[in-house]
Amino acid sequence: MKKLLAIVLALMMLALPTLVLADGELTLGSWRTEDGEAVGALLAKYEELTGVKIVYQPTVSTQYNATLRQQLDGGIGPDLFYSRTYSGGAELCENGFNVICDEIPGVKENFTATALEGFTDKDGHIFAVPFAAVSHFVYYNKTIFADNGIEVPATFEDFLAACEKLKAAGITPLANGIAGNWDILECVLCSMVPNYITAEERVAYETGEKKLNDEVWLRIFEDFAKLVPYLPETYASIDEEQADMMFTLGQAAMVIDGSWSYSAVSDGVDAGFFSFPAPEGYAAGFSLHPDFGIAGNAASAHPEEVKAFLTWLASPEGAKIAAEVIPAGFLPLINADVAPEGSIISEMNAAAEGKNADRRFVWNMLALYDTYVSELNAIVRGEQTPAGAVDVINAAWEAELAK
Amino acid sequence: MTMKPKRIPALQGGKSIKPGGIYWMRYVIPAMLFYVVFMAYPMLDSIRLSLYEGTAGAREFVGLANYTRLFTDEVVSKRFWNAFGNNWIFFAYHMLLQNALGILFAAILTNKTMKGRQFYQTLIFIPCTVAVLVTGYLFKIMMNPQWSKAPLESVGLGFLVHSPQGWLGDHGTALSAVSLVSVWQWVGIPTMMFVAAFQSIDDDLIEAASIEGANPWQQFTRIRIPLIIPVIGMVAILTFVANFNAFDVIFAMETPEGAPDYATDLIGTLFYRYGVAGQHPVGIPEPGLGSAISTTIFAMLLCGVIPVLVKTQGKE
Repeated sequence: MKKLLAIVLALMMLALPTLVLADGELTLGSWRTEDGEAVGALLAKYEELTGVKIVYQPTVSTQYNATLRQQLDGGIGPDLFYSRTYSGGAELCENGFNVICDEIPGVKENFTATALEGFTDKDGHIFAVPFAAVSHFVYYNKTIFADNGIEVPATFEDFLAACEKLKAAGITPLANGIAGNWDILECVLCSMVPNYITAEERVAYETGEKKLNDEVWLRIFEDFAKLVPYLPETYASIDEEQADMMFTLGQAAMVIDGSWSYSAVSDGVDAGFFSFPAPEGYAAGFSLHPDFGIAGNAASAHPEEVKAFLTWLASPEGAKIAAEVIPAGFLPLINADVAPEGSIISEMNAAAEGKNADRRFVWNMLALYDTYVSELNAIVRGEQTPAGAVDVINAAWEAELAK
Repeated sequence: MTMKPKRIPALQGGKSIKPGGIYWMRYVIPAMLFYVVFMAYPMLDSIRLSLYEGTAGAREFVGLANYTRLFTDEVVSKRFWNAFGNNWIFFAYHMLLQNALGILFAAILTNKTMKGRQFYQTLIFIPCTVAVLVTGYLFKIMMNPQWSKAPLESVGLGFLVHSPQGWLGDHGTALSAVSLVSVWQWVGIPTMMFVAAFQSIDDDLIEAASIEGANPWQQFTRIRIPLIIPVIGMVAILTFVANFNAFDVIFAMETPEGAPDYATDLIGTLFYRYGVAGQHPVGIPEPGLGSAISTTIFAMLLCGVIPVLVKTQGKE
């Protein structure tokens, strides 16, 4: 309790600067403390163009939701703030804290339905301007691939063959593990799913029209189980951070991780990436998950400036400048070619070309999140079969739908 | 000229200094104020909060719904009882191992023939001064066979590796491994308290006992231990309270989810997930449910602490 109190007091201290801002300056709340420099550059550019000064005010990610909520309640919320996607972001809007973005010019025109879906609340209002999405990739060590004569695999079968070859050569093929309790689902399974299920089919699973233990899901889980022998022996002690560490130390040839980890995994390694390959006979999919948007505070003292900034972000010109400064791995959501030539972002965008993009399937079925993680863990440990796992998951979802 | 001594009420039996008066009140007020504002009020407010749902602003009175959910909801109650059970195991390690070691170390350190007492005392206490996040992270790396297998085998300690899953990845050993790290780190605190307690025992007693023919073991069990019972009781209470509030060592070594598969989930991490951070990946905290957890634990701690207090501190 005492510790908690100390944290709360510290947060209150952090909130203080909002009270001493110069008149006419706007604030932008965020959970990405590591992006100060990048976003600062974006805001400086905006000030140059319009003369409006916006100050970046990040809070640690894990405390962001609670802090933002308290600030908004107390009437000292930032004028603009990073918005989570789906229920996490919609919750604030449903409580009247957000500027409704339906009427912001460009929002409806410049973004795809998939992008907007992540930023639409129960009443159909758009609560933030879509900003960036994340994807998942298989990162590979180019040197190890070349030394073993391995090409970037085009199909899941090639992928397994490459793993087998690496394993035979005494190299751990994949660095992923289960200690983190989230990346085995979000990075590994979620990067496989779009290869088997399109966005329309996903909705059918969400509504219960299709069963989560049908032959498609059984196939996904069977294919997942085929990866298990290629995980490190020490999988039970490896989380995302340590998987990246193994990869950069050359202890594993590949790691399946999020696009946001690009700079971490390419640190000191000649790393390439490809999106998780589809099995033969399946149309390749691509995981593109809306990660954050920028929302306006409905109670801001500068409503006009807030709207102007949101409009700018929703325009190709604004998005282009944003794309130049945001860290590698965050993919712009705007329907325009804004990625700087030759950048990692454009390379990642190219990986998506011609593929069915969809977001992480589990996001409309969050009640299942835990079940998915524990069933995947059990498969990795050899305590569960793919057929058993999909049955457990289906039963859990049927129970949830019946509520 | 005789000066009439000035009457100083406080010294000359002004009514406020009467035995049984409440003159002492004014000395207590600063501490009391501090306690009320920073301890009692937040605690009572957290009890109030447990009757509400939603976050600040959209808070709604729901009566005992949070408690009903805590004990009847399939997932929440399963997690709660799992964390509760784990906490007892975690506590048992500290109570039985850490405190027993504390007494043992203290007995050795206060032995008259002991050389270099300061040195060993410092050595035992050093881990307490290092942040848990640091030691936890170091042990996490050390216990991970991915990094430690080769170095350990090269010095002939390969048997310490356990299995490819590692101590922290195996359901059966994870909680014990984390508990032992915590015991290692905090054993200095009870040791210090027991050293102080043993030192406060009058040498005459021990001398008299040895003249009467008591051997060292009898002196230890019949004289030294009974004389430090109040300290043992205090240490037991502190251990009890600290362990039911434990959070950081699990956070550092096994993520706030109590990996693997909730095998190391404690009340502290459970409370953090529900009440403070929100469950991944939605991240919407439920302060009401969190408060219900902390209030329940508060009540349980009270039930545990009061009998121990009465039993060990009553004689004073």
